[in-house]
Amino acid sequence: MAKPILTIKNLTKKYGENVIFHDISLTVNEGDTIVIIGPSGTGKSTLLRCINLLTCADDGQIWLDDLEITAKGCDDDRVRQHIGMVFQNFLLFNHLNALDNVMLGLTKVKHMKPDEARVKALRELERVGLADRAEHYPGQLSGGQQQRVAIARALAMDPRIMLFDEPTSALDPELIGEVLEVMRKLALEGMTMLVVTHEMGFAREVADRIVFLEKGSIVEEGPPDELFYRPKHDRTREFLWKITELYGKKDENK
Amino acid sequence: MDVAKFLQYIASGTAYTVGVTLIALPSGLILGTLLALLNVYSGKTSKALTNLYSTVMRGIPPIVLLFILYFIVSGSINLSPFLAGSISLGIVSSAYQMEIVRGAILSVSGGQMMAARAVGMSKRQAIRNVILPQTLRLAIPPWSNEAAIVIKDSSLVYALGVPEILRRAQLISASTQQPFLAYAAAAVIYFILVFITSRLLDGLEKQLRIPANP
Amino acid sequence: MKRLVLLVVVITLAFAAVGCKSTSDHLSAIKDAGKIVVGTSADYPPFEFVDEAGTTTGFDVELMNEIAKRMGVTVEWTDMPFDSLIAAVQEGKIDASIAAFNYDEERDKTVDFTDAYYTTEDSFTVQEGFTGDLSDPMNLANYLVGAQSGTVQDGWITDNLVTPGLLPEDKYFRYERVDQAALDLQAGRIEVLMADYVPAQAVVSQFGGMTIVYHGVLSTGPLNIVVPEGDTALKDEINRVLKELQTEGFVEELAFKYFSE
Ligand SMILES: Nc1ncnc2c1ncn2[C@@H]1O[C@H](COP(=O)(O)OP(=O)(O)O)[C@@H](O)[C@H]1O
Ligand SMILES: [Mg+2]
Repeated sequence: MAKPILTIKNLTKKYGENVIFHDISLTVNEGDTIVIIGPSGTGKSTLLRCINLLTCADDGQIWLDDLEITAKGCDDDRVRQHIGMVFQNFLLFNHLNALDNVMLGLTKVKHMKPDEARVKALRELERVGLADRAEHYPGQLSGGQQQRVAIARALAMDPRIMLFDEPTSALDPELIGEVLEVMRKLALEGMTMLVVTHEMGFAREVADRIVFLEKGSIVEEGPPDELFYRPKHDRTREFLWKITELYGKKDENK
Repeated sequence: MDVAKFLQYIASGTAYTVGVTLIALPSGLILGTLLALLNVYSGKTSKALTNLYSTVMRGIPPIVLLFILYFIVSGSINLSPFLAGSISLGIVSSAYQMEIVRGAILSVSGGQMMAARAVGMSKRQAIRNVILPQTLRLAIPPWSNEAAIVIKDSSLVYALGVPEILRRAQLISASTQQPFLAYAAAAVIYFILVFITSRLLDGLEKQLRIPANP
Repeated sequence: MKRLVLLVVVITLAFAAVGCKSTSDHLSAIKDAGKIVVGTSADYPPFEFVDEAGTTTGFDVELMNEIAKRMGVTVEWTDMPFDSLIAAVQEGKIDASIAAFNYDEERDKTVDFTDAYYTTEDSFTVQEGFTGDLSDPMNLANYLVGAQSGTVQDGWITDNLVTPGLLPEDKYFRYERVDQAALDLQAGRIEVLMADYVPAQAVVSQFGGMTIVYHGVLSTGPLNIVVPEGDTALKDEINRVLKELQTEGFVEELAFKYFSE
């Protein structure tokens, strides 16, 4: 029986009067890779930020393992340590080289000794294939390399789950592959992942389930085969059709 | 008249000018940075209050503020004119430095804060380890400008009786009736001080510049 | 903006009022400390100026040193701009001030004046070759006039010429110091410089090309030392020593040393 790592129940988020999403429920089991798709402006990023407590949900609950992280008095900073986050635009710390980017959380948040932190950080950089770029600053790395460092930075904290918010959509097409490759490897290693992406090749191949989010609610979710070939809703079909139109050519290049 | 002696007399005011600047500039930086952080990260009330502080401080001529602060500061504690003047100038400068640091904070993208929080840092840790190191680098060029202004404004403490360069030039001008010589000497010293400072800060900026591909 | 400045000034004054100390034992405090802090503005030769060694000296300075000596204390000199002196006495930043002050009713409201230690005259200085007529001092209104701001001459011109509308504001120039005014006289930016007779003589001899066409008592007169308001003990002590010095002829000798070229 799979063990749920992340449980979301009836989550609602508003900005003022503007309801971004409402009544979202979702469970992510240990080792699962869940891919979220949906049109722009639907609230996918906001959902990830809610899970990471970077913004506050208005209603509903979230559990990480058995801990309700939306409960009052829950230590936000501690929760975030256990949730890795990868952003669309990388957001590496600009003033630090790759190694220090990965080390910072270890020394400041985990209070690891610098020597230990360095060893661990180098290992994480190796994991994303960038040990030889340890001394390089973000401004000296390609977008793909920056995103891999960002993944290493998140991995270094030994998170229970990794959240990816369109990790490849800011990249030039020729750099997308290296990032997806790292993510594919992570999924194989059994990392629990919640990924917002429109890379349908990746979704089809790696995802255990795909969630289609539109206008603030989950329209449909299911295994890739089901969703891609036997969608229950017309809206899902339309969206997928549009997406393959847009991204399909890139897919064929791979 | 012994010109060399008079020039030496004016030049020996440099110690006061440098001293005043060395107290005013860093104390203004510390205060200004704290105010900027309060302004950006600490809620609406802090924002309104710090904005008010900045507007008031920058809206009043430094010399007026200097007198007011001098009498307030040394009305409660008995400070020498030198210390009181330096601290007052630091307070005046803090409003300008707050704007410099605030501008720099705002130009470090909001994403940096989010990324730091996502790793599990508290707001305070994020500010110290991620925001400030980038902010202060960005602030060096405008700060260099403010340093030059403070060096020149340090002449204002003469009004409190601190015998710095400008005041000495005035005295020599009066006793020798050679205003041009006296003020030219003062001008040269101020220029050298500002020049050295801006060179040093340029060097610092280059030293601290974050490496990037061209 | 103006209202804001006013507000801060009011706040300052409120603070300043709180800061005021009782003056009754001021004199004994001075004697106990063995020193009196005296402010002057050392940009007004020959009354007070800086010599080549960078020491403050002059008629006022030597006189005050002697007064202090006879009070059994030494002087700690503090130099500041003329305009700051009265405020500094008022705030207790300095114990007294000597800077060729003339008695002035306005000033008397906030500080006290000792007896006179010397009497001066006003003077009009012009460029050599000046063809105007200044036999009547009120004729000053027909020329471009300069004076040191905050002095009694400034007050006289303002009260007698500017306020009644005889001399337009834009024909009257106030300078922070006499030497600045002298420079403008030399350059022709003003036609007449009204100043204390003694420093005017110093200006004429040092700048050259100038002459004094009038001297007499208009605004000036007796010079007094400024002490804190209501500080009668200190005032009386200084007056006692001054009388002593005048009878002994010390002041006259000093005047001869500084004022006769
Ligand atoms: N801080 C915010 N304040 C107000 N509205 C916001 C904020 N952040 C996002 N939104 C709005 O929420 C909606 C969802 O945004 P987002 O979660 O970024 O969508 P997606 O990632 O699916 O493209 C958008 O309409 C956006 O304008
Ligand atoms: Mg998004």
